[in-house]
Amino acid sequence: MHALTFEHVTKRYGREVVVDDLSFAVQPGRVTGFLGPNGAGKSTAMKVLLDLARATTGRARIGGRRYRDLVSPARTVGVVLEPNAFHPGRSGRNHLRVLADGLGLGAGRVDAVLGLVGLDHAADRRVGAYSLGMRQRLSLAAALLGDPPVLVLDEPGNGLDPQGIRWLRDLLRDRADAGSTVLVSSHLLAEVEHLADDVVVINRGKLVTAGALSALQHAGVTVRSPQAAVLVDLLAAAGASVTPAPDGATVVHGMSPARIGDLAAERGVTLHELSAHAGSLEDLFLRWTADRSEVDLAARKGEVLA
Amino acid sequence: MSTWSRLLRGELRKLTTTRMPLAFLGVLVLLAGLNGVAVVAGTDMDGSKAFIATALDQRSMMAFANNAMMGAALFGAIATAREYGHATVVPTYLAEPRRARAMLAQLVALLLAGAVLSTAGALLIVAAVALALPATDYAFLVSIGGVSQVVAASAFAGAAGAALGAGVGTVVRNVGGAVTATFLVLMVLPPLVVQLTSDAASWMPATLGTVVSGVTTEVSTASALLALALWGALPNLLGLWALQRRDLV
Repeated sequence: MHALTFEHVTKRYGREVVVDDLSFAVQPGRVTGFLGPNGAGKSTAMKVLLDLARATTGRARIGGRRYRDLVSPARTVGVVLEPNAFHPGRSGRNHLRVLADGLGLGAGRVDAVLGLVGLDHAADRRVGAYSLGMRQRLSLAAALLGDPPVLVLDEPGNGLDPQGIRWLRDLLRDRADAGSTVLVSSHLLAEVEHLADDVVVINRGKLVTAGALSALQHAGVTVRSPQAAVLVDLLAAAGASVTPAPDGATVVHGMSPARIGDLAAERGVTLHELSAHAGSLEDLFLRWTADRSEVDLAARKGEVLA
Repeated sequence: MSTWSRLLRGELRKLTTTRMPLAFLGVLVLLAGLNGVAVVAGTDMDGSKAFIATALDQRSMMAFANNAMMGAALFGAIATAREYGHATVVPTYLAEPRRARAMLAQLVALLLAGAVLSTAGALLIVAAVALALPATDYAFLVSIGGVSQVVAASAFAGAAGAALGAGVGTVVRNVGGAVTATFLVLMVLPPLVVQLTSDAASWMPATLGTVVSGVTTEVSTASALLALALWGALPNLLGLWALQRRDLV
């Protein structure tokens, strides 16, 4: 079992802080979605984990060890990281054979993963002639070559057709169910919503939130009241984050339904609805990663009430 | 299979699964052809063919070590730098995160490739000259030992050149930049150094190539071999230092 741990990892390039005091853990047996806007620092964090980049401070470990200290690192961790990390003049089969040589694996394993990702028909074609989806399948084949118990995948669904997405989802689910550790970054939020057990969200290098996706999705409370303005002021004054929903309801974060009900009762505010809010991952992601200046601007305009 | 042999096997497969070696071999065939044409059609300023009159002249014509070093250096620089361009360094260093070991495996593979290509180049030129000489009034005068030395010198210089290029490629990490830097190191730097200190002329690659080929005797053959090896080794020490300090991607 290999948990992945980031402990206060900071990565600077000159004066730019790309990853900022990042701490979280990825547990075996679960699929963890690694989310963040472009440039949030996801890929850099993965590179630090894999010893491809050095953390300025902090440390990242795989099963308690640095990547370089693993007994057989590439057989322990399967990686999809750089898009198009191929020599365009080399065939897909030869690309994998080069990697298989490095891992001490035979041609049989290469054939097996080519079949697994559905590339056996194009294995002897130059990678330069591959479509984006075929290249992505080749990347996945490379990651699976050593049958590793840990998968670290950066945007593995890019370019895959719907069948490929479904296949990838099933593969990652099967792996996690078998006890593997799966960390997968993706911009396909709907896909992550289907796939991930846990999510880790970062923005501008900092951890925004981490935890079980189902718990995070139900972290808000929907409130409906004929005295909405009074209620909003009341909840905001009590420290809750209050956001108007498009249907006229109000979504409250940072306060339990019981506390909201108690506050409303104390002030005599009538409630027509008080229920757990099941937000979509997209809504949550946009809220988690909203630019602070945009939030402030929206607050000034009265769109965000606290 | 040991880690070392796994890595070396992978690096050799990298080199043999693209068309680059064939492209370089094509250049070698062209160079050999030009040598053959020069033997048949070329003359000295006085219209004679004195440049192929003696065994030493013929050996000088066939001495390929300097060209081998330049060609193999370009081969090494391109092979190494393109790994960064294509990001294929990522799986390489994921398979072997101890960077010095992975770099050494690549270096050894390139040494072998440089030696093989340069040997092929030298043999092609020897064959071209031997085939062209009957069209002149001169016979092939170089002994088997002489031919062997020319070929061996090319192999050694080619290996040193490939190493030099690999080191430059590791430092520069960009194919265009690595090719330019290799050209500067082998073609521009030596004349500048000689202008600053003429004593250094004997230690420049071109001179060392003629020494190990048995054409000139500015320094001893052993010293020339050592100096060529140093030309190949120094950029790799710099490359290793850079590789250990820098992020890979």
